[in-house]
Amino acid sequence: MTAAAPDPDEPLPPQRGLTREERGRDVSEAQAEAEAETSKVQQYLKAMSPKYVWSMAEGYPVVVKQFLQFCLILIYPAWVFGVLFAAAMHLLFYVTVYPVLWLLFWPMRAYQKKNHPEEYEATRQKFAKK
Amino acid sequence: MGLFKRSSGAQVAVTPEVVSPRQAVQATVTTDKPIDKVSAATLEWGYTNFYRYRWAGRADSAAVQMNDSWFMMGEVGTDAGSEKNAEDWVGVTKVELPVAGGEFSGGSSSFTVPSWAPGSSDVLARWSARLTIDRGGRDVDASGDFTVVIGRDNLEFDDEPPARTGGDGETDIEIALPSLVFCAGETINGSIVLTPHADMSDGEVVIYWGHRLISHPLVRTPAIGGGGKSGPTIKLGKGIALRNGTPVTVPFAVPLPEDAPPTGTAVHSTLVWFLQATLHYSKWTQGIEQVRRQIAVVNAP
Repeated sequence: MTAAAPDPDEPLPPQRGLTREERGRDVSEAQAEAEAETSKVQQYLKAMSPKYVWSMAEGYPVVVKQFLQFCLILIYPAWVFGVLFAAAMHLLFYVTVYPVLWLLFWPMRAYQKKNHPEEYEATRQKFAKK
Repeated sequence: MGLFKRSSGAQVAVTPEVVSPRQAVQATVTTDKPIDKVSAATLEWGYTNFYRYRWAGRADSAAVQMNDSWFMMGEVGTDAGSEKNAEDWVGVTKVELPVAGGEFSGGSSSFTVPSWAPGSSDVLARWSARLTIDRGGRDVDASGDFTVVIGRDNLEFDDEPPARTGGDGETDIEIALPSLVFCAGETINGSIVLTPHADMSDGEVVIYWGHRLISHPLVRTPAIGGGGKSGPTIKLGKGIALRNGTPVTVPFAVPLPEDAPPTGTAVHSTLVWFLQATLHYSKWTQGIEQVRRQIAVVNAP
């Protein structure tokens, strides 16, 4: 529903900005680089880099930004430890819990493979390595 | 001495005070006494646009994501207050006022409100004529406000299909309206049609009006939250039997407030109006169904 045609001699409406959805994700360059990484190991390594940690202060006003960068330097050892711990837990899950689940759901997968081969293949493709 | 009594030295009066798009307004600038050492006197027509933005760092940074993660549940968090209200001036037309020999003693300018003008409200925009006098001393700034009201013929409104905002869709909710455009202070008379696709427990239906400010600033990062208001929840009926394939019609009357801000789009933000209907099943495991219907509100008859 639009109003009648605008007058020819009136100024054109000014360009409007973009909403958050239209803009896409708002992340720093270092973080975008880490997120684009397909290998989990590389992702963890990039998340440990000082550049990544430092970039969390990006976009703050002056003074606040420098103070945050100072705080981020202080917590950097703890951050590295945290990321290593998360990576260890990630690995531990795939070594202990995952095989159990894999074994537990074997009959279900076998049933799907036998009775719904297309669906099974589609799901496999969905979770295949990109 | 007048050290603390700083009259700006110039006043801007705009007539008429209330206008519709495509109508003309006249600004008259008067001065207490002629202002000297003037290099330029500019009158700018436009509006102050209200919106919300995120000032605190990047919106999707790792720190923000961590703040929302499960192990921070129950913690105070650090993201509160990261978004705030702001306003920016959007200029439409600039007019140079006559300056004779470096002296300015008043002037006037006429302006036709454009057809795309957003309506004036505390939520979206405040229209004014701003005077700026550049001079070899303290500059003089003054402004005069006026109100732009939106009528049915000036409305720019993109109809959006009704959206389900909650529930599994076991009962279809349709908000049937005689029109999609309503005037401030008007009572919306419509009906809700409930169409169950299975035998459900008895239902209770409520409805309310709401408006939301969607921020889309040109430069700053838009805020996600805030800038909305909703009316009182109106209970429409309790113990409504919902049997498979038997549609039920529930009439409603939702009064809009007298001072409802009109629907509109500006440079940095957009104001949208909607009606939201919620159906609560009496059996709590069946949950709710919720539907939002976008409407448009104008404030000139």
